[in-house]
Amino acid sequence: MKTTKPAFVSCVLALSAVLVVACGGGGGSSRSLIQNKGSDTLVNVAQAWAEEYAVVAPGIAVAVTGGGSGTGIAAMINGTVDIANSSRKMKDSELELARGNGNEPIEFVVGYDALAVYVHPDNPMDEVSLDQLAALYGEGGDIESWSQYGVEVPGCSSDEIVRVSRQNNSGTYVYFREAVLGDRRDFRLGSRDMHGSKDVVDLVENTPCAIGYSGLAYATDHVKMPCVRQGEDGDCVSPSVETAIDGSYPIARPLFMYTAGEPEGAIRDYIDWVLSDEGQCIIYDKGYAPRGDVDCS
Amino acid sequence: MFEATAQNRRNRKVEGLFRLLFLWMTCMLILPVALILGVLIVRGGPAISWEFLFTQPINNMTAGGILPALVGTVWLVVVALIASVPVGVAAALYLSEYAPDNRLTRAINLAIINLAGVPSIVHALFGLGAFVIFFRFGTSILAASLTLAVMTLPVVIVATRESLQTVPLAFREACWNMGATRWQTIRKIVLPNAISGILTGVILEVSRTSGETAPIMFTGAAFFLPFLPQGVLDQTMAMSLHLFVISTQVPDVPEHMPFGVALVLISMVLAMNGISIAFRVYLRGRKKW
Repeated sequence: MKTTKPAFVSCVLALSAVLVVACGGGGGSSRSLIQNKGSDTLVNVAQAWAEEYAVVAPGIAVAVTGGGSGTGIAAMINGTVDIANSSRKMKDSELELARGNGNEPIEFVVGYDALAVYVHPDNPMDEVSLDQLAALYGEGGDIESWSQYGVEVPGCSSDEIVRVSRQNNSGTYVYFREAVLGDRRDFRLGSRDMHGSKDVVDLVENTPCAIGYSGLAYATDHVKMPCVRQGEDGDCVSPSVETAIDGSYPIARPLFMYTAGEPEGAIRDYIDWVLSDEGQCIIYDKGYAPRGDVDCS
Repeated sequence: MFEATAQNRRNRKVEGLFRLLFLWMTCMLILPVALILGVLIVRGGPAISWEFLFTQPINNMTAGGILPALVGTVWLVVVALIASVPVGVAAALYLSEYAPDNRLTRAINLAIINLAGVPSIVHALFGLGAFVIFFRFGTSILAASLTLAVMTLPVVIVATRESLQTVPLAFREACWNMGATRWQTIRKIVLPNAISGILTGVILEVSRTSGETAPIMFTGAAFFLPFLPQGVLDQTMAMSLHLFVISTQVPDVPEHMPFGVALVLISMVLAMNGISIAFRVYLRGRKKW
């Protein structure tokens, strides 16, 4: 039995060596890490910012996490994040909760996003009005089939509209409800609720019967985006960065970053950089609208 | 006189049929493994290169490598092991060597079984509440690894206890009769003989830990982090979450990349299993019984 002892001892030694290494490393952890969490709409542009900022300020690491605006706001309330991304404004009740925990959220508008309506490329529908969208998505709405829109969709023999929506902690979900259904009206049951902006576009791309809404930045060549009309006799405006900037597109919204308290040091520098021309050109590149005029040529 | 009757022949036929049936069922087991590996190698193989393994992701994670995720997963696994193996082995030792068969012991056993049955997403929320918020570790490797450790503790305990119990009672009795205490018996006889089984538990834990996504999503893993973690209080990227992210969240990822990440992840687990199996074979070869 004595002979197995070295093996056992070596195993213990190996484990404790790892422990020492891990603890040694632990001591070096510094506050140069900025935690940035929230909106799935913003997550790809937040990632692009973080990637570019690693070049601009090599000493600062920006850790980006998605999960939805609700996730970011919850983390802000709990104080587990430095910067929360959100595609909707924080509610008063949420601000209260955060203040209660000693975190005064400070709001920054970092850009604008147009919510595009997506349909399958074979779908002949070229325009849709906000009222039609409300009748389709809203509680008590009466649109069920494509023929009610006056179109016949090739490849969709059932004629039934597959409604694609988002999970309820998504800022996109909340904003669509505000902008299209109105504050008081709820979504109708029976939609497919996807967990990411990209999932919506992916599903619509492969489903002739489907219609969905998602950020313009997630547009691909394999989906169609009908123009959106506000009211009966308004202009039908196509979603684009330009129409989001000039305000003519009816479902465009600001995108936010929140910090706990007035940002200082590395966080301040990062926010300033995001709001600078360099940061704003990155958001423009990703298909969102910058907050003001920038020259990105 | 012993000529086969019709009954005998029928029995033999049925016997043969069942044998074949069971063989097929066993082969069906291999099928998914072979298919998964095959698909990953064929479709992910072209993505693998030194550059893929050892550089940072670039261009919105649609190009470049997976280094931060790879290093992050190693961090998570190692810290989880450090947290769970001592606790798990000690608990198993108590349950196997010391604990009398009373109500407390039965309650502990029940707790272990229940802990093993808790869904990983529940562990994730527990980790978020306990380690991230209550203990104020923040979203960090420490919080994520502790969550993983809690989740995999039952695996370590059960595997260790079972391997302790394969050591014959006669060994212990011989030892006790020589006047050795329980601890001396455990130290010199039981543990050395059970080490290969304990390693199995550890390996199972490594395999499970490195693939888990839900528990680390809320507690420590980042969507993107352009730096390698410096310590246990940093956030980190991880292979499993990276795979989820580039397959579902990032537009325009080249098709071979998610397959490449999956291939690296599964290779890591298989390599670790291989090393430990070799170690076990070596240890078992030295057994005198």
